[in-house]
Amino acid sequence: MKTMNIIPLFLLALSLLAFGATANDRYNESMQKNIQSVYTAKTIDEIQLAVNAFERIGEAEKNKWEPFYYASFGYVMMATREKEAQKKDAYLDLSLKALEKAKAINPAESEIVTVEGFVHMMRVTVDPASRGQQYSGLAMQTFGKAIALNPENPRALSLMAQMQYGTAQFFGSSTAEACGTLNKALEKFETFKSDNQLAPTWGKPMAEGMRAQCK
Amino acid sequence: MKGNIISVLLLLLTEILVAQTRISGTVTDAKGEPIPGANILLLNTYDGTTSDASGKFDFTTSEAGIQTLVVKFIGFKEFRQTLDLSASKLEVGVTLKEEVNQLEAVTITAGAFAASDESRRTIFKALDIATTAGATADIAGALNTLPGTQKVGESGRLFVRGGDGNEARTFIDGMLVLDAYGPAAPNTPSRGRFLPFMFKGTSFSTGGYSAEYGQALSSALVLDSKDEEQFSRTDIGLLSVGADVAHTQAWEKSSWAGKVGYTNIRPYFNLISQEVDWVKPPESLEASSAYRQRVGKSGMFKVYGNYNHSNFSLYDHAVGDPSVKVLQDLRNNFGYLNGSYKTSLTPKWSLRTGLSYTAIDNDVSLNALKITEADKGIHAKVAFDGSLSDKLELRAGGEVINHEYQARVDTSTRALGFNELIAAAFLEADVYTSNKFVTRAGGRVEYNSLINQGSIDPRISLAYKTSKNGQVSVAYGKFRQSANQQWLRSAPDLLPEKADHYILNYQLIQHNRTFRIEGYYKTYSDLVKFDDSAFTNNGSGYARGIELFWRDNKTFRNVDYWVSYSFLDTERNYLNTPYSVTPSFASAHNFSVVYKQFFVKLKSQLGFTYSYTSGRPYNNPNEEIFNNGRTKSYQDLSGNISYLPKPHLIIYFSCTNLLGRDNIFGYQFSKAPDDNGVFASRPIRQAAPRFIFLGVFITLSKNKSVNQLPSL
Repeated sequence: MKTMNIIPLFLLALSLLAFGATANDRYNESMQKNIQSVYTAKTIDEIQLAVNAFERIGEAEKNKWEPFYYASFGYVMMATREKEAQKKDAYLDLSLKALEKAKAINPAESEIVTVEGFVHMMRVTVDPASRGQQYSGLAMQTFGKAIALNPENPRALSLMAQMQYGTAQFFGSSTAEACGTLNKALEKFETFKSDNQLAPTWGKPMAEGMRAQCK
Repeated sequence: MKGNIISVLLLLLTEILVAQTRISGTVTDAKGEPIPGANILLLNTYDGTTSDASGKFDFTTSEAGIQTLVVKFIGFKEFRQTLDLSASKLEVGVTLKEEVNQLEAVTITAGAFAASDESRRTIFKALDIATTAGATADIAGALNTLPGTQKVGESGRLFVRGGDGNEARTFIDGMLVLDAYGPAAPNTPSRGRFLPFMFKGTSFSTGGYSAEYGQALSSALVLDSKDEEQFSRTDIGLLSVGADVAHTQAWEKSSWAGKVGYTNIRPYFNLISQEVDWVKPPESLEASSAYRQRVGKSGMFKVYGNYNHSNFSLYDHAVGDPSVKVLQDLRNNFGYLNGSYKTSLTPKWSLRTGLSYTAIDNDVSLNALKITEADKGIHAKVAFDGSLSDKLELRAGGEVINHEYQARVDTSTRALGFNELIAAAFLEADVYTSNKFVTRAGGRVEYNSLINQGSIDPRISLAYKTSKNGQVSVAYGKFRQSANQQWLRSAPDLLPEKADHYILNYQLIQHNRTFRIEGYYKTYSDLVKFDDSAFTNNGSGYARGIELFWRDNKTFRNVDYWVSYSFLDTERNYLNTPYSVTPSFASAHNFSVVYKQFFVKLKSQLGFTYSYTSGRPYNNPNEEIFNNGRTKSYQDLSGNISYLPKPHLIIYFSCTNLLGRDNIFGYQFSKAPDDNGVFASRPIRQAAPRFIFLGVFITLSKNKSVNQLPSL
């Protein structure tokens, strides 16, 4: 009788554990699949598919910041591919909306703050003449915040380097500062490690592409 | 036994987990058109999909029981339906309802030119004001390049659609400004008291404006001041006519900015000879300060204060005999304080409150005769904005406007003046029938203490989107404004002047190109008129016209240009006119072209503005017919260049009237005829053929990308 009692309970506990593990696996698995497709997507529609999936996962997993973070990043990627100014702005609005949700879960995450800066940076491209002043300052300030939160974040460093480079180029001044930041970014891309297997990995090719300008 | 039951339960659980339901369907809009890209999900599960190009979707789920299907797509309301997943196959038809979205939806454009850095569907941006050649960073100067305005070069004020300079009123954060212009010598242009860089948004309305704005007969210029600054910085400006220094301190949720400036035109006038016989050219000292504080999640508290002292003196020579001259001396003190608080009360309602105070002291002496004027204004306002649904927005509020004015002539013991109290309430609703059609209807109730009378002014506008980028608007409204203080001080029982506006507008904005055409008809009643040297409200008038606007910053790389044309036909029987005539400030044709080009290699922006104004009427007492004279046309080509050698340094140069044209605004005549019975005349000219301005602006800030460009 006694053993009879214990064995099923043990079984139940085991199966629950297994179930729990499956849930987490399922989370990581679906996230990874969609993260890959954002990284490799060629068209806006393809990214939209992944973004929709992130939003679905985000709605179900109320305590995870990654789904909304990647949804937000996906919208920025959609904005980079969009030609029409009004739509570009609409994607950036959606990006910020998703980012707000991610921020509510994990306010001090450097990666989230980096994408926020990325959104500001993209705003400039819509109308550089009238927005450059306001948004490039805001972008640099936000990247500064992201670097302060995590000085090891290569994405924040490399986007900051891009802003610095653009400013230096516009005014014909020395690009030494920008290239210094870029070198730091490239270094951090090599050493960047995170306990989170869903941690972002984007940005390296962009930084490497910029390396040529700094020689 | 127990163990068996549990095992069975476990088995059942697995069974349920394995059971799958296939859910399919089509997502369409209300018209049955398929919606691709919609996000379809089962709430709180991972299961879902995205609708394909024909709006179809199909996915399987292992979930069981009662679940909620959610379908989302931008621009549409979220769709929800509970599903019982006991069936193995479910077919769901999803019809999404359009969400009325303020950014996408039709906007009322009749009469209005909205300018903002934030809103993206605007024609005119705040930066445009600062970089328009010939405007010398003056708000009115830049707005004079838009249709609906008539250039009156000797005044500097805004003259809108046959209305005189007092009929265009300025509102800062919703609060009425008593006098938005600085003092100026007779027949020299005055400048606006408020600098364009203070504002994040400008809405210039040439008629048919919201019921929220009262005491404006022809035009409302609504300025929205900036929120808290993001960066701490110090700005230094060295100008050919003075210097200024400003400091901004930014904190996490608040900012403070202060500015002190000194202007003295004497050194400049010593270089460039002037039409005016200055004894002491204009000199002014100005200080302003602004504080912004974010309160809670959505509250914003703003205080702005401005103090200005200016003075000048000059000789005014008699027209017939220049050796007869009057020494005219002016000292003006201006103080302005504006506080406002804005917050959301509930998700649907927000509150705006404001209080402004203006005090102006004006001391004028003409030889030994001294005239002192004291002018005080208080404006308090409370307004509620409600978004009751995505289809209905309400605006309601009340305000009190107090205007106390006193003038005293030297020895006379009797002061002329009045103390006017206006209490008003307004209510207005925006009803969106769809994203394509909006109706704004409302009204304004006013009570005026001087005449002890109440009034109701209805306002209505409609806008309909004819295509993705094009739209038609119509507007009608009744407007009133107290008589000018010059007359009201002698006859405080004068009724307010009234106007009715009818406007029809078409606008097309596509790929950074804007086309706009607007026609209007306006009637004036109860205008002040002198009948047998008494002040009456027997005056009347009309104005009608057609206006065109074209702006393009797409066709040529780094080039932005706009073209405006206004045709105006107006007559008034008012003040001292013996019958209905075209007033001397009105010109039939106004045309302007503004051109700006950025040269990346030269790090410079070059701008030109050409303005043409057809001849204006003037009254020649030597002629039988009143106001029968016509000046020759006014033409001006102005240029400016801003050069940014370094991120924190700007060098700015501007020059008006590059071609040196001798523009004549009108003629003054001697008071009495000479021996031959002829009234002598003298043309009213520009104070100098050109105004040349050079400035160097330095910004000291940790953030190196910050400079003063937006303030130029």
